[in-house]
Amino acid sequence: MTFSTSVEMKGREAWITLEGELDAAVAGEFRQAIEEIAPQKPEKLVLFTSKLQFMASAGLRVLVFAKQQMGREVSIYVVGASGPVLNTLLLSGFDQSVYLQESYP
Amino acid sequence: MTRHSIPANLAALSSIRQLVTQACQEAGLSEAASYRLTLAVDEIATNIITHGYQEHGATGDIAITIERTDHHLTVILEDTGVAYDPREQGMPTADDLDKPLSDREIGGLGVFLALQGVDRFDYQRRNAVNRNTLEVDLP
Repeated sequence: MTFSTSVEMKGREAWITLEGELDAAVAGEFRQAIEEIAPQKPEKLVLFTSKLQFMASAGLRVLVFAKQQMGREVSIYVVGASGPVLNTLLLSGFDQSVYLQESYP
Repeated sequence: MTRHSIPANLAALSSIRQLVTQACQEAGLSEAASYRLTLAVDEIATNIITHGYQEHGATGDIAITIERTDHHLTVILEDTGVAYDPREQGMPTADDLDKPLSDREIGGLGVFLALQGVDRFDYQRRNAVNRNTLEVDLP
């Protein structure tokens, strides 16, 4: 299963859709998407993850990078995460800093 | 028992995951337990590739052995990279896990997730070979 990202700005919101398996081999693509969209100063980063089947810690590190790159005032939403991906986010304490939602808006 | 030799590069991680997931399914593990073991192996393999080989400009292979008994499923990763005991790397504390992302160190979560996903973990180095053993109990 390959990994893909698609990025679009919706007003002041950056929407990124993640699909496939996010491991250390492909995390750079996700990081690059963050780097491309950060200069547009979004107020929210919304990650659609319902088709994300696997996420290793390399994906978590990109979330940390996103927060530090975009600024602490930018809210991050993770939408539609499957059970195992959601469990990884919870185990790692990311629910303290990221809004976990089944759907958006 | 099955044994495969996989090139130690990040592009091979998906092949390693496929081997582990298939073994989990054959052993009758639940989807959740299968995912946890697969994630654990992925994280340890990532460390071997990154810290054991790539950071030192080295190349090599990872030998992956999967053993199943009536009670356990065991995945053994062997490599000839530099000595690297994952347990000696700094892992996040409970306080670290409570920190907002904006204050977090980038790193340390991989080994944490790996150890959370298995019932037993062991690392040994003998005769210049690193041996990481990850084991889960079968239902």
